[in-house]
Amino acid sequence: MTIENVTPDLASEGTGVAGSPHPLPSRDTCEKVLEKMLLVRRFEERAGEMYAKAKIGGFLHLCIGEEATIVGATQALRDTDYLMSTYREHGQALARGTPSAEVMAELFGKATGCSGGRGGSMHLFDMKRRFLGGYGIVGGNLPLAAGVALASDYTGTDDATLCMFGDGATNQGTFGETMNFAALWSLPVVFMVINNQFGMGTALERHSAVTDLSQKSAGFGVPGARCDGMDLLDVHACVSTALEKARGDRVPQLVEAVTYRYRGHSMADPEEYRTKEEVEKWLGRDPIAAFSKRVVEEGVLGEEEVKRLDEDAMRAVDEAVKFADESPFPDLSSLYDDIYVIGDQVRRPYWSTDLRSPDTHRGEEERQAGEVAHELAELGSLHEPETDEQQREARARGEGG
Amino acid sequence: MASDVLMPRLSDSMEEGTVLKWLVEAGGEVSRGQPLVEIETDKANMTYEADSDGVLLEVLAQAGDTLPIGEPIARIGQAGEASSSAAADAEGGAEPGENGGPGRDGAPEVGADAGPGQQQAHADAAPVPEPAATAVSAAAPEPPPPEAAGGNGRIKASPVARRVAGELGVELAQLEGTGPGGRILKADVEAAAIRGPVPHEEGSQEATDEPPREAIPPDVVTAPGVSAAPETGAKGEVTVQELTRLQRTVSRRMAESKATVPDFSLELDVDMTLCIELRDRLKEQVERAPSYNDMVVKAAALALREHPRVNGGYRDGRFELYSKVNVGVAVAARDALVVPVVPDADQKSLGEISRQARRLIERVRDGEITPPELSGGTFTVSNLGMYGIERFTAIINTPQAAILTVGALEKKATVDERGRVVARDMLTLTLVCDHRILYGADGAQFLARVRELLERPLSLAL
Amino acid sequence: MPQMRYREALRLALREEMQADENVFLMGEDIGVFQGAFKVTQGLLQEFGEKRVRDTPISENTIVGMGVGAAMTGLRPVVEIMTVNFSLLALDQIVNCAASIRYMFGAQVSVPMVIRMPQGAGHQLGPTHSHSFEALYLHVPGLLVAVPSTAADAHGLLKAAIRDDNPVIFIEHETLYGRRGEVPENAEPINFGEAVVRREGSDVTIIGISRMAETALKGAEQLAAEHAIESEVIDPRTLRPLDLDTILESVRKTNRAVIVEEGWPHGGVGANMAALIQEQAFDWLDAPVARVAGGDVPMPYSKPLEQAAFPHEEHVVSAALSTFRDL
Repeated sequence: MTIENVTPDLASEGTGVAGSPHPLPSRDTCEKVLEKMLLVRRFEERAGEMYAKAKIGGFLHLCIGEEATIVGATQALRDTDYLMSTYREHGQALARGTPSAEVMAELFGKATGCSGGRGGSMHLFDMKRRFLGGYGIVGGNLPLAAGVALASDYTGTDDATLCMFGDGATNQGTFGETMNFAALWSLPVVFMVINNQFGMGTALERHSAVTDLSQKSAGFGVPGARCDGMDLLDVHACVSTALEKARGDRVPQLVEAVTYRYRGHSMADPEEYRTKEEVEKWLGRDPIAAFSKRVVEEGVLGEEEVKRLDEDAMRAVDEAVKFADESPFPDLSSLYDDIYVIGDQVRRPYWSTDLRSPDTHRGEEERQAGEVAHELAELGSLHEPETDEQQREARARGEGG
Repeated sequence: MASDVLMPRLSDSMEEGTVLKWLVEAGGEVSRGQPLVEIETDKANMTYEADSDGVLLEVLAQAGDTLPIGEPIARIGQAGEASSSAAADAEGGAEPGENGGPGRDGAPEVGADAGPGQQQAHADAAPVPEPAATAVSAAAPEPPPPEAAGGNGRIKASPVARRVAGELGVELAQLEGTGPGGRILKADVEAAAIRGPVPHEEGSQEATDEPPREAIPPDVVTAPGVSAAPETGAKGEVTVQELTRLQRTVSRRMAESKATVPDFSLELDVDMTLCIELRDRLKEQVERAPSYNDMVVKAAALALREHPRVNGGYRDGRFELYSKVNVGVAVAARDALVVPVVPDADQKSLGEISRQARRLIERVRDGEITPPELSGGTFTVSNLGMYGIERFTAIINTPQAAILTVGALEKKATVDERGRVVARDMLTLTLVCDHRILYGADGAQFLARVRELLERPLSLAL
Repeated sequence: MPQMRYREALRLALREEMQADENVFLMGEDIGVFQGAFKVTQGLLQEFGEKRVRDTPISENTIVGMGVGAAMTGLRPVVEIMTVNFSLLALDQIVNCAASIRYMFGAQVSVPMVIRMPQGAGHQLGPTHSHSFEALYLHVPGLLVAVPSTAADAHGLLKAAIRDDNPVIFIEHETLYGRRGEVPENAEPINFGEAVVRREGSDVTIIGISRMAETALKGAEQLAAEHAIESEVIDPRTLRPLDLDTILESVRKTNRAVIVEEGWPHGGVGANMAALIQEQAFDWLDAPVARVAGGDVPMPYSKPLEQAAFPHEEHVVSAALSTFRDL
């Protein structure tokens, strides 16, 4: 694995350890970003554990290794800016300020989750913090981000949108379509490729003819830049510049952050597509260890303080797990809520129809449905997809996410 | 030479039958063994086959008519042999068979005087009459309207027609459908309701000396206006439901039995512990283990062999003792009671009884049971244990000597050999006997033997 | 009452709603300088300017996706897709985003947008420009589906669609664009979920979808003239929400139902509606619910083949008769 300019061996280009080209920011900022990176790291580790305990269902995509990319980029946003992400987005939500309890509760499928238990790991959302979601379709969020930027432009605000996606998404049709649109309509949007070097299990050079992804948008009129995704300061500097151009000059930008995910694509990934040695090399560039080391070496934070930040992160995650565990599942009668906005100009019956019970009833009107429907809903909800044991076995076989 | 087709006896207890549908239209050729007419008996609907070759010259009993066994219902003879009455009827009854309109004008095509041209015909079996071959076919040039009932006896009627028929008290079996494929439509039902009941066996009733039971109203409701009009009073609105033929038979026979049989009942509790063990063991062996009721049937059959009177009947001042042990199992059918029979139950293994009983019950539930399967019972077992009924008496299925009822299997406190109170799985058996043939001791010995067999169930498993 | 063409009624609705709400804007391929592939948006660019009438590149999925993003953050986009077949390129954004976002994000946002597109055969446009996909969109919870068949409905339903806070699939019909009809002055929006009885009758209920409402009416006249059958013709106007009550009320009166649609038969609107009717009115039926649908084929180009591949009044008559008698 070699990537031009940025490789695990290349200490000169970005290393967050000693040779970062960027000076450390203020003590407060250092503390804040380190706190966030640690929270993301500890959260993800614990989420993995909870997945193994079958507290979390479905797919679980962890971002361990990408903390500098996530925190460095989101720190460049204003509170009023919008952020969009992919399905590997726990870190983005946390970095944007969504409480870890709400994120964990969402992973647990609880009513208190940030998407009300409707979305799960891949579909976190927090409108209050202008985090506009994780999306399960690779490349599916690019048009949306352009649309959000269009709305910002249309209504005359100077809000910008940061849209993150993986290296794999640059091969989707929406990538080219959206770059063209954004440049054509001069939209205030920054596209950010989190190049963790694998589209699921397919290595970058096996899925993209051009491996310098920062070049892929230029032909559409969107200038690209590349940064060291393991160096929080480099990411922050690069994204800040890009946001400035997009916001101020109405020239949309592409930023490629070269990083690495230390875990598999999802929890069920046996990682047969890469070697232990390669992972080891990148582990040597652990963005949190590097940043911690530097702040201690430069005397900005003491070792004890770093340790305390880590303990705080672990405590916060413990509390998040406790909160998620104790939270109730969504009320079964809420199954049909919020499919539609019910307005006056539309008759209510037959928005949707539930045909699973003998007394056919009227979708969102389910709360008025007969007893049989409610009984059946309860019986249905009691079904287990598989036992924990079966799930573990399935995971061992590499099935099921 | 023309011969009469007589109302056939199609079950052992049948006394009269109702013509449901002619499968060959008047004038049509028939051959021996060809399905000729559907008859509703007291037990089931069945198809009666022609017993000779020739032409169906005349239909004497129309669909819906009820006649005693042995009454002529049609005539079969050679072509050209048509009776004068058939020709006259055909003349008057022939109407265009066109049903083009939606029928909302309410004009019924089916009338009480429907001539042979309107006879329902079996679409598959009935050949189109050869033109001019007989006076009948010449007078009925239209192709036959399609049948309203399938060969399985199900009446083909639309959902709304069924509903309206129920509301207006019109019997669908009496109607000829004008819809696609002969389906009975709402308009057909409404027309029939306006038209009123089909005049029934005109002239024949005054000529015969009918026994009282024949005073049952004709099959069609007496007057739809009366039966459909919701009566209101202290009991609120009254919905009047007409009995089906089967229900009518059941009600008459039950009343007769209760009125004429001097019955008494005997009861005892059976310890089912070993039967349960046996069944548990059988469950390991076979997919569907025999039920406890099957065990009772088997035990009763063995005991019946040893007690011939119980396996007998009282008829016309005599005892009848039967050589076969055929045990009937009472089954609740839709709105009726049906007793399919396990023949030679004493000769059959428990497994065979179980399989046969299950099959019979399914056939009853599916409406496929045929009169032969309901015939020849020498004794009856009735079980309401599944509803939690502990014990009950039943009405004897005359002329049988007795009926055995089975209650629920329940844990009960009993006193064992050593005087201790223990919980045991108990079952109450009640034997209702006709005192004209069975005396107290007869019934008691039989019942005790049944208990003995059930408490030592290995003999059942042989 | 002013007479106008179906396309003019649509244009009027767009203009009125754009005048009423600054946040309503149009985007689509060739809707501006070219004045619209079917001239629905003619003159609107000149009237409202580039900001609100936006010509787009040919990128259906991204056009819809940008509409969704804009709708999530405060605008009310009206997106035009040139024909319904092209919307298949945008199916990801329509189903995975527009329809799902509100539900999957716990109702934190809504997607108030309209996706307009024409469908239908009759102009010899062959298999990639002539299909009918209302059944496809009816399938998706989260979408509303409108299928106007008259100028007045096109006007009233489009106004309601633009004001609605849900994503609306607004299906127009290519052969109806030139039809004239009366549109009342200052007409109000037409509520979704309210069917209209186009013709009263007591013998059979005929439900016509989109252009087939027109075909159903022609069939009804023929049934009356030649067979003395009085049909009740219902145009549901919106398929989601569906005014099943009006349909059931009619079926309880006539005891017969025929559903006429232009799209494919399997899994079609008629299949769904027939199921609903028999579930809710089984005991009122005098015949199986009859369906008339387009041929189960990709739409052919050749004129006689194309005409043979979608329903005409003769099909309606035949299906209606089949509920009365053997044909």
